[in-house]
Order: sequence, then C-alpha cells, then structure tokens
Amino acid sequence: MSDLTVGAARNRDVIAWKLFATVFMVFFTFLTLAPLIWLFYSSLKPHPEIVRNVFALPKEFHIRNFTRAWEIGSLGLYTINSVIYTATATLITVFLALGAGYGFAKFGFRISHYLYTFFILGLLVTAHSVLVPLFILETRLGIDDTRLGVILPYVAFGLPFLIYLSTTYIRGIPDSLEEVARIDGASYLKIFWHVIRPISAPAVATMTIFSFVNNWNEFVFVFVLTSKQELRSLPVGVNAFAGGMSRDYGLLFAALVIATVPMILFYMFFHEQLKKGFAAGAIKE
Amino acid sequence: MTISREKKVAYGVLVGPAVLIYAAVIIFPILFSLAAGFTQWNGLSTPQFVGLDNYVRMFTDPVFRLGLRNNLLIVAVSVFGQIPFGFALAYIIYRRMVRGHAFFETMIFLPITISAIVVAKLWNQIFSPRGLFTELMRIITENDRFVLTIFESRTFAIVPILFVILWMYTGIYMIIFLANLQRIDPGVIEAAIIDGAREHQILLRVVLPQMVNVVFTTAVFAIAGSLKSFDLIFAMTGGGPAHYTEVIAIYMYLNTFKYYNYGFGSAISMMIVFLSLGLITAVQAVFRKLEARYV
Repeated sequence: MSDLTVGAARNRDVIAWKLFATVFMVFFTFLTLAPLIWLFYSSLKPHPEIVRNVFALPKEFHIRNFTRAWEIGSLGLYTINSVIYTATATLITVFLALGAGYGFAKFGFRISHYLYTFFILGLLVTAHSVLVPLFILETRLGIDDTRLGVILPYVAFGLPFLIYLSTTYIRGIPDSLEEVARIDGASYLKIFWHVIRPISAPAVATMTIFSFVNNWNEFVFVFVLTSKQELRSLPVGVNAFAGGMSRDYGLLFAALVIATVPMILFYMFFHEQLKKGFAAGAIKE
Repeated sequence: MTISREKKVAYGVLVGPAVLIYAAVIIFPILFSLAAGFTQWNGLSTPQFVGLDNYVRMFTDPVFRLGLRNNLLIVAVSVFGQIPFGFALAYIIYRRMVRGHAFFETMIFLPITISAIVVAKLWNQIFSPRGLFTELMRIITENDRFVLTIFESRTFAIVPILFVILWMYTGIYMIIFLANLQRIDPGVIEAAIIDGAREHQILLRVVLPQMVNVVFTTAVFAIAGSLKSFDLIFAMTGGGPAHYTEVIAIYMYLNTFKYYNYGFGSAISMMIVFLSLGLITAVQAVFRKLEARYV
C-alpha cells in the first residue's frame, strides 16, 4: 500500500470514529440533561397543567409552587439544618484529616502505617454496618436526637478518604521546607500551621469541596439517628415531603428544585475541584 | 536518637482526634455488630447467644435471597455498565473526537451533585402514569393507555432502578478514566500514529493495556458502592412492591428499625461487609491473572 492510501484510510477511519463519538456523546448528554430540564420547567407549572400535558412549557411562571412548598414543607428550616451539618462537619473533617495527614506523612512513626491502613480500610465500611450499634451508643450517651449526634458520623465517615488525600499530598511536600523551619526553632504544631497548612491549600480546597457535596447529600444518619422534625436535613425533609399527603406535582417538583439548586450553583463554581477529588481516588501511583 | 517529647505530643495532637472519632464511630460499632450478630436481641432484652443461627436464617429467607440477587445485579450494572460507558465517554473526550468536550464533560458529571433522594423522587415521577417516560411511550407505541407495569414483576421490578443507577453514577467513572488517560505519555500515541496505527489499534494496543490497573480500582469502587446502595432505592420504592426491589441494606434496615431484631440486623450488616470483602478478593484474583498474562 502506498502512503497515500494509508493516509486516506486513516482519514476515513477518523471521520467514522468522530461520527460515532459525537452521536454517543450527544445521546448520553441528552439523557443526562433531559430529566433535569423537565424537572425545572415543570416546577413552574401548576398541578392541573402538569397533568394535562407533561411536555408543555409553562404558560406563565407559577412561582406559588415555590412559596407554598417552602412553607408547607418547612424547607427553610431544613435548609438551615443542612447548612449547619454540612459546614460544621466539613470544617472539622478537613481540619482533622489535614493534621492526621501531616502526622502520617512526615513523622516517620511506625504506628502511622497501621493507623493509616486502618483508615483506608474504612473506605469499605458501609454506614449501615454501624447504624445499629451507633444508634444504641448515641442513645446511651444521650446524644441521639442532637446535632452533635449527626455531625460525629458525618465526620467519621468523611475521614478515610480525606486522610488518603491529605497524606498523599503532604508526602509530596519536600522535607527541606520543614527542616528549615526546624532549624529556626519552630515547634511541630507551628510548622503544621505556618508551613504545611498554607502549602496544602490546593489539597484543602479539593478536600473541602468533595466533603461539602457528600455531607450535603447525606441521608441515612439524620434519618435513623434523629426523630425530631426540627433536626431534619434537606434530603430527609424532601423525602418526607414527597411521601406526604400532598399529591400536587407542582409542589413536589418545586421542593425537588429547591433541594437541587444550591448544589448546581456550587457545581458551577467548583466542578474542577470536585473532579479532582473523585479522580484522585483512582489515580494509579 | 531519642524522639523528643515535643514530637510525640505534637503527633498526638495532630493524629489523636481523628483516630478517636474514627474508633468511636466506626471501629467500635463494627466490632459490636460482629458480636451482636451471634445473638438474639431486641435492643432491650439480655442478648441470647445463638451461634450462627442468624446467618442460617438469612440464607433460608427468600426475601434475603431476592435482596442478594438485586444487589448482585447492581454490582453487574456498575462493573459491566458504568465502567465501559464511563471509559468510552472519557476516551472520546481524551482523543478530542467531539467539539465542545468541556461542555459534555461538565454536563455528564452533573448528577453527582444531586442528592439520591431527589434523583429517586424525580425518576419516580418520570416513570409514573403521568410521567415523562410514560407519556413518551404512549406517543411512540400509539397506545394512549400505556403504563409501566414492570414494577409489578418480581423478576424485572429492579430494572428501572438499575437504569437510574447507570444514569446517576456513570459520570464518576468518566472522570476517573479521564484523569488517568491524561497521564499517558502523549508521545506514545503520536509515535503510534506516525507508525500508521489506526484508531482501534491505538485504543486496543496502546491505551487499554495501560488502563488495566484503573479498571481494577474502579471495579473495587463499584463493588463497594453497589453493596452500600440504600438511599436511592429506599426513596424510590422502599424495597417494594412485595420486596421485589429489596436490597440487603434495606432488608437490614427493616429488620432492625421496624421489627427490632437487633441481633439479626447486625448479622445482616456484617454480611454486607463480608460480601464486599469477598467480591473484592475475587476481583483481585481475576486481575492478578490478567496482569500475569498481559502486562
């Protein structure tokens, strides 16, 4: 075969691949977005309009769905709870994971190896395998049905992956930086705060965003460990709302949108960091 | 050289709190579950030691076996659906086969931010008699009384859920593969193109062999994640109708928090851990063989 025909075959090849790739990609993206777009515009239609024609765009923006869902579903309260749980748990988890990561990565103690392995094994543990004893433990300690009782498991289950991220990152920081600070007479805790923490800023950003999304969407701990309505988070509240008496689709859609919008906004700003978090878990060393 | 007291104290301050919380909330309860799984106990009574009775009872219960089957189907969809689809999407983006790849990438990854509860309620609505899917099928089949009856089938009730799982999580695998593809030395692929390699040869001979480890890691993720699945199914069907869509985690939840069989519930939750470990060990063995042969 001459070079020319090889080139032509290759070109035809590339065109066929591109065609297939585009069809596949567009189809998959359409499938991903269509239900969400439908959800968003349907949330602006009153119930009878939804039932009459599921496809039709809203004739006018029926904002009342939102105000009523917000009121009936106590979504304001649940949003505040979600913010409290998510922000507190994320802050604590990131802080503890960074400290532990420094200890594991730089102190050279033999026990670090065992503790680190212990945390990594935690990635396999499901929330459900500890629910029963955790529930009993919290009841005995009297912290069931409290915010603390919710935040503790959020933190504990967030730790394994964040410790993995922080330890890997801090291992990559050159020892010389730390040694310079040691010679200047800085204590380890001072080094942690003034050297390690600032250098780890990119890892901290990824950890924070990853942890934030996970905590925001967490369901089972609030669902099982609390019974008071005042302590419900947004996912638990929305679940109750959707299973409740109201058969008004407009209200239901509005509630779902209210629960989704904060995360979509968050995603618009931070999707790069979020991708890093997910990808970091499976980068081959 | 002796380790300074200051260093030890610093280590304790840095590592201690994380270890303490982790031990209290995960390690201690897991050991507790392991022990409680050998007892009959309703949470208030004195636990009665019953040996392996709970595990025997589990495997003789048809509901548990249905749950196990459903769980294994979820594992299968994750390993044989999400991983190949995720890889295909990542490969298309990596080889720049579509324009506007950043847009596609961002959109396909989007569902990861949405709570499983919202996803469940949304798809319930789509599949409902007045939903998007139903109305669409009515137009396609020209039968305006079409309704989705699959939820009433013992065998197939799980299928719509499997579809939603695919919808929700494929983006994660795309992102993981993409990150790893971008670590391949671009020179290798350029050299292959100069040597006249066709696209399928680049895919099969250059790229895929470098992805064996990643496929293994993602398979472990998929297995661990699949056995944990609870939120989505709980909010979609609650395991119903008549346990048709039950998974082990829901079976555990009902037995523990509805029927107060704490001992039995603990045994079920340990079963999830054992299954996870067992399947991951099996996958590891398969990959060792694959590696020995091809790498």
